Amino acid sequence: MKAVHILGIGSPSGDDRAGWLAVDALLASDVRARHEGMVIEKLDRPGASLIPRLENASWVILVDAMQGGGQPGRIRHFNQQDWHGYGHGLSSHGIGVLDALSLAHALGFLPPRLDLYGIEVGSVGPGETAGYEVLAAAQWLAAWIADSLEEAAA
Amino acid sequence: MSELKRTVAVHVPVLARVEGEGALDLRIVDGEIAELRLRIFEPPRFFEKFLEGRHYTEIPDMVARICGICPVAYQATAAQALEHLFGVELSPWARDMRRVFYCGEWIQSHSLHIHLLAAPDFFGCNSVIELAKIAPDAVRRGLRIQALGNELMDVFGARSVHPVGVRIGGFHGAPSLARIRTMREKLRAALPEAEALIRWAAGIAVPQDDQAFVSVAMRHPDDYAIERGGIGASDGLHIGADAYADHFTERQEPHSTALYSDYRGQPYLVGPLARLNLNHDRLPERVRMLLAETGLVLPSRNLFHSLVARAVEILLALHEALRLLDGYREPDSPWVPVTPRAGVAYGCTEAPRGLLWHRYEMDADGRVVSARIVPPTSQNQGRIEADLRLSLLNFGLDHPDDALRLHCEKVIRNYDPCISCATHFLALNIGR
Repeated sequence: MKAVHILGIGSPSGDDRAGWLAVDALLASDVRARHEGMVIEKLDRPGASLIPRLENASWVILVDAMQGGGQPGRIRHFNQQDWHGYGHGLSSHGIGVLDALSLAHALGFLPPRLDLYGIEVGSVGPGETAGYEVLAAAQWLAAWIADSLEEAAA
Repeated sequence: MSELKRTVAVHVPVLARVEGEGALDLRIVDGEIAELRLRIFEPPRFFEKFLEGRHYTEIPDMVARICGICPVAYQATAAQALEHLFGVELSPWARDMRRVFYCGEWIQSHSLHIHLLAAPDFFGCNSVIELAKIAPDAVRRGLRIQALGNELMDVFGARSVHPVGVRIGGFHGAPSLARIRTMREKLRAALPEAEALIRWAAGIAVPQDDQAFVSVAMRHPDDYAIERGGIGASDGLHIGADAYADHFTERQEPHSTALYSDYRGQPYLVGPLARLNLNHDRLPERVRMLLAETGLVLPSRNLFHSLVARAVEILLALHEALRLLDGYREPDSPWVPVTPRAGVAYGCTEAPRGLLWHRYEMDADGRVVSARIVPPTSQNQGRIEADLRLSLLNFGLDHPDDALRLHCEKVIRNYDPCISCATHFLALNIGR
């Protein structure tokens, strides 16, 4: 059976660590021991290198920071209909998660199940630490993901 | 019968599929090009000023931050310059691995440009996402090759973006033999893919264009120059890095935050096609044979051949990495000790986009007094504008605006301009 891949995307800039914080919380739990072959990774703005990480998985859970104008710490779940058809004029300096997902979709690399979670963020200054709301949201989301995995395995 | 001449204004407010932020203004009045400006408006980044006062040990990591796509070029050039000034003789291991490290960057940068930035133009696609729908195997192959280049950079740099492996005197660490063995297998497996990429790239129909220009690239007596050699030009120039400023001048234009470069008062070309024009006789036999199969006649005066030139250089880089990793042994030490000295350091290497030149004035404690960096994109900027004029005239000015816009973008993308690299400097004059 193909594995579950959980990918936290971020950078060392304030609340942009949101995806990393969720992954840290999962790594601190026993989730990996309970699900054989699970891959959990923290990625720093992976660009196109996100695509091969989607290819050999049965289920990919992506967590990234989001600036949607809401309160920091708000969590949103996106499915493929939300980002299907997205596509900019792709600069390789600026290829983002949705660009990579769109390209992976066109190449037939998307896994059977893909869950994309966005955590609304506030300040993303270089060298800053993440705010309390984002930290709390990341921990809450990690617990939610762990529960989802248990349900799916049951 | 009188011929009706159009007045056209084409503005591309943000150029897509180039690195960084730039724009293009084109105005055609009565069938003549009245204005053509590649406007680089990305804010200047003042990297040379940031370097002042910094210790030589900090320089490789700082200059790697200039570009996320070609950080190795900046590291290798700075290291070469400072090691030369300090009288450092690299170990044969470190000298070879610098070239291998650089090959990784060529492989990833070229594959990225071919597939994500340039190729969609020639298939009528707006992006690689559209291209993936009609040529999925080619895009998959391109992504695999790009990932391989990133992995090779990661082996020596600990990460592929802004790597941290280089130090003055060598590398901070040496990869294990086991890791190199794995890498060698992957590089070997990629050779047929790279050969197929050359055939695919050579089969893409490109506009016929014929322009006169001077090609400028590094030359080395034995190697296809990447990380060592002198500076050569197609008019016969051959100089060392220390003489660069005697032959090449930089100037500012009001519409650009990047400087323009001239050679003998004229724009010139740097980059893969310039390198291939000057150095095709230095390619390994297998690469030369494959190049001959494509029918590409060198030197080429058609910038649309840049795409196939990049494909050729990917195969070259794979061959070079394999050659230098053959018989790999972990060294006793990956670096040699360094003692700084005061003076002026010069260095040049071939970044994926072309010649990269550095000059550092250092004090006796090994701190930077002043720095000057001339990246390839600013050297190509004048050539891009000259090319746009000529190729638009060849293409015909009576095409619809959208066709003119697309043609201009295609021409610009041939050069793979990295605007973020180019905007590191701005002479600032303040009147009070």
